[in-house]
Amino acid sequence: MKDKKGAPRKTKFDIKKITQLQGYSSFTSALMAIVLGLIFGFMVMLFANPGSALAGFRFVVLGGLGRIGDVFYFATPILMTGLAVGFAFKMGLFNIGASGQYTMGLYFALYVAFMWQLPNGIHWMVAILAGMVGGMIWGFIPGFFKAFLNVNEVITSIMFNYIGMYLVDMWIQSNATIYVSSTTRTRYVPMSAQIPSLGISGSNVNFGIVIGILIAIILYIVLQKTTFGYELKATGFNKHASEYAGMKGKKNIVLAMAISGGLAGLGGAFLILAPSGIVGSSMTYEPINIIAANGFNGIAVSLLGHSHPLGIIFSAVFISHIQRGGTLTSLVGYKPEIIDVVIAVIIYFSAFAMIMKSSAGKFIKSKFGKKENKENKVAKEAE
Amino acid sequence: MDIVYYLVQNMLPVAIPLLLVALGGMFSERSGVINIGLEGIMLFGAYFGALFVYNVQGTSMGPQTILLLGMLIAGIAGFLYSLLLSFAAVSMKANQVISGTALNMMIPAAVLLFSKMFFNSDGITTNKNFYIREIPILGDIPVIGQLFFQRTYLTVIIGFVFLAIATIVLYKTRFGLRLRACGEHPHAADSVGINVYKMRYAGVSISGVLAGIGGYFYSVGVMDGNVNGHTGVAGFGFLALAVMIFGQWKPIRIMFAALFFAFLRTLAYSVSLIPFLFNLGINQTYYKMLPYLATMLVLALTSKKSRAPKAEGIPYDKSQR
Amino acid sequence: MENYIVEMLNITKEFPGIIANDDITLKLKKGEIHALLGENGAGKSTLMSVLFGLYQAEKGIIKMNGKEVKINNPNDANALGIGMVHQHFKLVEVFTVLENIILGVEPNKMGFLQESEAKEKVLYLSEKYGLKVNPDALIEDISVGMQQRVEILKMLYRDNEILIFDEPTAVLTPQEIKELLKIMKDLANEGKSILFITHKLNEIMEVSDRCTVLRKGKYMGTVDVKDTTKEELSRMMVGRDITFTVEKEEAKPKDVVLSIKNMTVASKIHKNNAIRDVSFDVRAGEIVCLAGIDGNGQTEFVHALTGLEKLVSGSIKLCGKDISRSSIRQRSMGGMSHIPEDRHKHGLVLDYTLEENLVLQRYWQKQFQNNGFIKFGEVRKYAEDLIERFDIRSGQGPETITRSMSGGNQQKAIIAREIDKEHELLVAVQPTRGLDVGAIEYIHKQLVDRRDAGKAVLLISLELDEVMNVSDRILVIYEGEIVGELNPKETNVQELGLYMSGAKRNTSKEIKNEG
Repeated sequence: MKDKKGAPRKTKFDIKKITQLQGYSSFTSALMAIVLGLIFGFMVMLFANPGSALAGFRFVVLGGLGRIGDVFYFATPILMTGLAVGFAFKMGLFNIGASGQYTMGLYFALYVAFMWQLPNGIHWMVAILAGMVGGMIWGFIPGFFKAFLNVNEVITSIMFNYIGMYLVDMWIQSNATIYVSSTTRTRYVPMSAQIPSLGISGSNVNFGIVIGILIAIILYIVLQKTTFGYELKATGFNKHASEYAGMKGKKNIVLAMAISGGLAGLGGAFLILAPSGIVGSSMTYEPINIIAANGFNGIAVSLLGHSHPLGIIFSAVFISHIQRGGTLTSLVGYKPEIIDVVIAVIIYFSAFAMIMKSSAGKFIKSKFGKKENKENKVAKEAE
Repeated sequence: MDIVYYLVQNMLPVAIPLLLVALGGMFSERSGVINIGLEGIMLFGAYFGALFVYNVQGTSMGPQTILLLGMLIAGIAGFLYSLLLSFAAVSMKANQVISGTALNMMIPAAVLLFSKMFFNSDGITTNKNFYIREIPILGDIPVIGQLFFQRTYLTVIIGFVFLAIATIVLYKTRFGLRLRACGEHPHAADSVGINVYKMRYAGVSISGVLAGIGGYFYSVGVMDGNVNGHTGVAGFGFLALAVMIFGQWKPIRIMFAALFFAFLRTLAYSVSLIPFLFNLGINQTYYKMLPYLATMLVLALTSKKSRAPKAEGIPYDKSQR
Repeated sequence: MENYIVEMLNITKEFPGIIANDDITLKLKKGEIHALLGENGAGKSTLMSVLFGLYQAEKGIIKMNGKEVKINNPNDANALGIGMVHQHFKLVEVFTVLENIILGVEPNKMGFLQESEAKEKVLYLSEKYGLKVNPDALIEDISVGMQQRVEILKMLYRDNEILIFDEPTAVLTPQEIKELLKIMKDLANEGKSILFITHKLNEIMEVSDRCTVLRKGKYMGTVDVKDTTKEELSRMMVGRDITFTVEKEEAKPKDVVLSIKNMTVASKIHKNNAIRDVSFDVRAGEIVCLAGIDGNGQTEFVHALTGLEKLVSGSIKLCGKDISRSSIRQRSMGGMSHIPEDRHKHGLVLDYTLEENLVLQRYWQKQFQNNGFIKFGEVRKYAEDLIERFDIRSGQGPETITRSMSGGNQQKAIIAREIDKEHELLVAVQPTRGLDVGAIEYIHKQLVDRRDAGKAVLLISLELDEVMNVSDRILVIYEGEIVGELNPKETNVQELGLYMSGAKRNTSKEIKNEG
């Protein structure tokens, strides 16, 4: 969407120019992955219960529109984990540990919310910052292992997902101020620590989404306009050359992983500090030794957004949208897990959507565009 | 001594899934493809194995026959599911880690979806008992018999048979030689007429079969016949990757690494039975974290000199030479 | 009509954007050594890949013994008796020699390897052609020359009749080259037919019977070597007369710019040190060349000099300042410019635009950034200036993605960047590798210009011609030690080769005295 808006820079409206833009090709390949994912979901629905497949599919695609507030609320944590994964990806790191960082952030935010007494208006901000710190610590460690001990960040951060999850669940369960053992969930977060609501009735949407979008824009500026972003991308593209150019690769790896972890930690904080639709209450967390799914959904969000901070905003909203739609399918007898399957399928196709598209493009060109092809060749040789 | 017997008897059924899946990972990486989707493939195999057991457990079929047939089904299921990775990573030259991650994400959700739809629960629980109290003759051998052939599962013996086969295939056969060449220097293999794509498909497929079986053995030996979408295989697929790295992509070393990790895990879950550890009063959660912490430590210590197959992780492109 | 064992007729092979082979014909007689001559990028390797089944030609046919054949993959080629020694060896380093030789044609029973009979055959062949290889050695443990003989054995083991050698001498010492050429002659005498790809005229004159010349993908003709001269061949290859010597005045060395004392650097591969107790100076206004065979410590030396690796002991002084412990960037700021060996891996971020690459060493300077924000306007202006002055050609100017540029222009971009940056010392590592004659001349001229502008130049090169022509002083490195200092005017390639292969050395005393 945004790519088409970017086009007016050119004085003349020229379809060819647009199709050559890199953003456009990311957009179309993401679209292709989404379509394939949805088709797959539809087929599963047809298989499970042909009678209500159409109705169910309509919920998936359109259901979220009726609940825009919730779509944005649930988009907030995956926007943050998406940014986390995408940011690390720019540096050539695959932060599969967003999940653990997210959980750690969630705990740090909870801790500050319950255990610290702070004035209204400041409490929730400090709690958010605490969440960021928690995530940063959990991202820093795999970064450190990668940079100084040469341990692959993928394995490390997976291990830290488990370690973090066990630790947090243990800490929560052993803290009576936070945990209610009869409901096996955490208590409602004190009012002063809840993020102010955006005031859309019947929805949890809160100021967190605004902060999230602001952060995405800041990240975009950092990556595109600053020397830090320049170094980061250079290292991601070619770590040898960046080292030859005197960039501090190891420092940047640790920094990037810490920032990435901080972003995921913010996601955890935004989730748990959100006010719920019921007055005075907030979201709660149930420590049952399960790895947080929002961390992995961040991978989907990041891939769909091609690791581009602004693209990630849109993909987070989109994923949240079909998730909301997915929960509605239970009205016609489906299980909401169907959306997780669809998301996984989307990731799968995103992994090679670019290649698939280009080979499809080549096929079409070879059938219909022989002449144009030749012209291109001549032009290239003339260079 | 009883505690030692207990630990070994309980450790082996845990070690075998790790061993098999790590061997699978080894075949895949030796062919040049990083298979991070082992976790998902395990669960997929386990689920189909359990589905089979669930459907035949009422019949008169003997438990060990069911176990073997279930193993076969789980292997085939793992193979089929791994084709998705082969297709993405070999044919489409996609990022291997991302494709594998997609495989991992898909299965827990699919298992939940399917189980909720057809069993109205989070997974399947079978009630067939595969436990073997004592293997005739072998179980009577003093000490060794008690360690390895009593209170065990058939899976343990099968696991070691697979280990022997894997070692021979990797080092003594034409296939093994070609597979290793593809993971080290695919262009060299290509130049002598070896089809790199085919070999990589083979490597990933073997990993699929072994991971499927490993997942099934996990459900039999560790989860007592339960397979569900929430706990899945509890990170065993990822631990198996660590086992493989710790084992330096070599079968026998992988076995020792698997035993080591299995020992830690068994210890963690047996704390209450070991007075010494129990009296320390450490929260059990710490013991549960032990395998993961040990992985970190082991990787940190070994990675500097670790020697992964040179071409792993890089999609093979014929035209780039 | 003569009998040809192989005829490649009117071969055309296109790649996206270029025609690598344009209507090329090559005919090989049985038992001859047939040279295929052309510059880098002339299409020699492509043509041979077509013959070897790695590529399929769009047009043209291949005949063997007068009959048309289809070669779709290396297996087909092998079945027809065609074998190839690739420029970059196709050997699995962690395998043994024997395993590499049998790979693809393994003797087996039911899929189980039967190595013993293969070993006998390898030993027999090795004996017969005087190749002296140990079948049980690991490839990573043996020398480059030995690895090449393993490649030759691979062909002989498969009973190949047509042997293709792709630039086989590029990695060898003069003595090893001599041995190889002798082996090739022996093979031809045994009735093998040899295609010899090269751009070195001396070697063609020495061993080949006939020579086919390619230029920019086009067929220039085939000549009998005994009826031609080096000059004529070079004219066919390049299309104009080329000067084999670099024109330059006598060097006028001034102050010491770089001073290395007792440098010792650890090796990453083996336990011994890769560089041992090396000392020398480079003065302003001279080009010093560090010559040697690949793998004698040059890489480690450059890493230690530029700051990518730590010294075990010893010191480096640049313009009088000790930089032994300085970071890469401090050395760069202190006056060291560096043209790295591998421009794709180390010199450029290929996915960055040309302008982004041109400021790779300077983006952090006040000129290009303000409080951490890059001044893109300044970057553009600067890039346009460099592109103009150094004649860097690219599709979309400063915005071109560097990956899409030609090798020569990529190298020009690096040179522009490194030369335009303030520097006293220019370290150039194999700056002409893989480039065509025009680009090579350009780069040599730039090096001499730097010298004449009063800068110190340290050239690390494997190319003997380059060593002899460009340098004012030659230091020979062998197994991590400087084994000789030579004056290019007073020495010759043979003597240089003896030093490079470790057969001869100045006493260490002499060198120390001079330093």
